[in-house]
Amino acid sequence: MWYGVYVLVLVVFGIAVHAASDRVAYTWRWDRIPQYIVNNDGTEMRAPYDGFVAVAPDKKSLTLKELRGSRHDTITGFDVLLVGDGDLVFQNDALARKSGLVAGPLTLGLWMTLKLSAVALVFSMLLGLVAGLGRIARNPAVYGLATTYVELIRGTPLLVQIFIFYFFVGTVLKLSAFTAGAAALAVFTGAYVAEIIRAGIESIPRGQMEAARSLGMSVPQAMRHVVLPQAFKKTLPPLAGQFINLIKDSSLVSVMALTDLTKAGREVVASTFSPFEVWFTVALMYLVLTGTLSLFVRRLEKRLAHD
Amino acid sequence: MTESAAEVLIEVRDVGKVFANGVVGLKQVSMTVRRGEVVCIIGPSGSGKSTLLRTLNALETITSGEIQVLGQSVHGGKANLNRLRTHVGMVFQSFNLFPHKTALENLMLAPRVVGKVATSELRERCQALLAKVGLADKADAHPAQLSGGQQQRVAIARALAMQPDIMLFDEPTSALDPEKVNEVLDVMKVLAREGMTMCVVTHEMGFARAVADRVVFMEAGEIVYEDRPEPFFEAPRSERLKAFLGQVLK
Ligand SMILES: Nc1ncnc2c1ncn2[C@@H]1O[C@H](COP(=O)(O)OP(=O)(O)OP(=O)(O)O)[C@@H](O)[C@H]1O
Ligand SMILES: [Mg+2]
Repeated sequence: MWYGVYVLVLVVFGIAVHAASDRVAYTWRWDRIPQYIVNNDGTEMRAPYDGFVAVAPDKKSLTLKELRGSRHDTITGFDVLLVGDGDLVFQNDALARKSGLVAGPLTLGLWMTLKLSAVALVFSMLLGLVAGLGRIARNPAVYGLATTYVELIRGTPLLVQIFIFYFFVGTVLKLSAFTAGAAALAVFTGAYVAEIIRAGIESIPRGQMEAARSLGMSVPQAMRHVVLPQAFKKTLPPLAGQFINLIKDSSLVSVMALTDLTKAGREVVASTFSPFEVWFTVALMYLVLTGTLSLFVRRLEKRLAHD
Repeated sequence: MTESAAEVLIEVRDVGKVFANGVVGLKQVSMTVRRGEVVCIIGPSGSGKSTLLRTLNALETITSGEIQVLGQSVHGGKANLNRLRTHVGMVFQSFNLFPHKTALENLMLAPRVVGKVATSELRERCQALLAKVGLADKADAHPAQLSGGQQQRVAIARALAMQPDIMLFDEPTSALDPEKVNEVLDVMKVLAREGMTMCVVTHEMGFARAVADRVVFMEAGEIVYEDRPEPFFEAPRSERLKAFLGQVLK
């Protein structure tokens, strides 16, 4: 019964979307999208320097001789030859093409988003653990530093932080766009992870730490073997939520010279003039990432619940 | 009087404790416990029994006086507290078992982590301890799967796994259903008979009378009265103790 209502609402919503696009006289061109995910264009082999081409008689290999130098390279394994024997080519000219399936810009963007999120996740976890422990430390210097970090990060917009990392920190430390982007995301997420971990640790009854200490364990030993394993189990759901946010927030790094999924989407829109299809596709690809993550976390939770 | 010749394991001298919020926990408390002695501490709620016990293994600090355990000054700042605590087992009212570990793992964790015992023999020794508290078949159970009485017996075995010289018990049976109290007290009786040095905060007057070498009565942070069990219960020479006993024994 309620399942029927659920389906009905979804269908009505779908019809509404369709009707809305009709009203703005939009022509759906879904057929244009797949080539931006995977295509058969193949990869082009380009000249590493200016030079003359010598094609082998069997046309299965070619040799490039440098124009103003003595370097020469033999290129093989291509399917289509794009130059003739004796041609003069310049650096980066296409020499030949190898056919086969290659990832389109959206897939490359997805991969960049995945890499960025994964790197940021690992470092935000480390940062969050350190800052979270700092937030419960008795040492005023440690506590003060951890609190300042958390408040500073939570009190400013991520976009502003990304600009600071890209234009200031990145320039000063000569970071690549990827490093700057991953660092900004890690530092941002780390502050939230710290608060989640602090709350998790504080939710473990004091008696656990006391029992561990009464057995002769040091504070770090008690943390490592008694408190943190229990806190980790409790913080798994909020941590998962935070990491899903991380994946979504990573779209903000598209303001930098990084072609993540969102930036790729923008570029594809510019060349296809099919914004609706592209953005729906991009949204779906984000959903695949976040959905996989929450599935994985749910599995992990179930496994931890058993022991 | 061979007992008075035994080595002194715990020496509490003029200890005072004022909490950060100004509450007075202990006032001029002095007490001596020798090897093999069982000392029971009784008294009304809030009289400082737990506070006294917790100062013995430095779970609580003191504001004045001096405590020596196993010949080391506990609060002097010089003792290696982690090392000292491996010699002083503690059993809590609320068990405080590690819920993410099985019963056997609860026993094995601290010896393994603190590195006091070789791992090869550890498992067998811990299994033997579980058998000793009557829970050989519960080695793989998690605390949530055990009754309160069983949990407390695991907690006792866990403390014993460190091979302590002294055992501290803070109301070990107060959180238990009445029918589970005896299974825990029986384990403690066996320990006492084996010569374990024990400090037991308890409301179980029958246990104190049967097992204790001395009984200590605390009220309002002070040790008001202290004696061997027979005179303590039969003919207390303290009006405050008489009033207290009158209330709890009815
Ligand atoms: N951490 C603390 N901060 C402030 N006051 C405390 C603290 N712990 C205990 N007290 C107070 O110190 C007094 C002694 O407490 P304690 O727990 O030692 O009593 P108790 O004899 O063990 O009582 P019970 O039988 O209820 O366990 C009480 O008045 C209590 O409120
Ligand atoms: Mg108490």
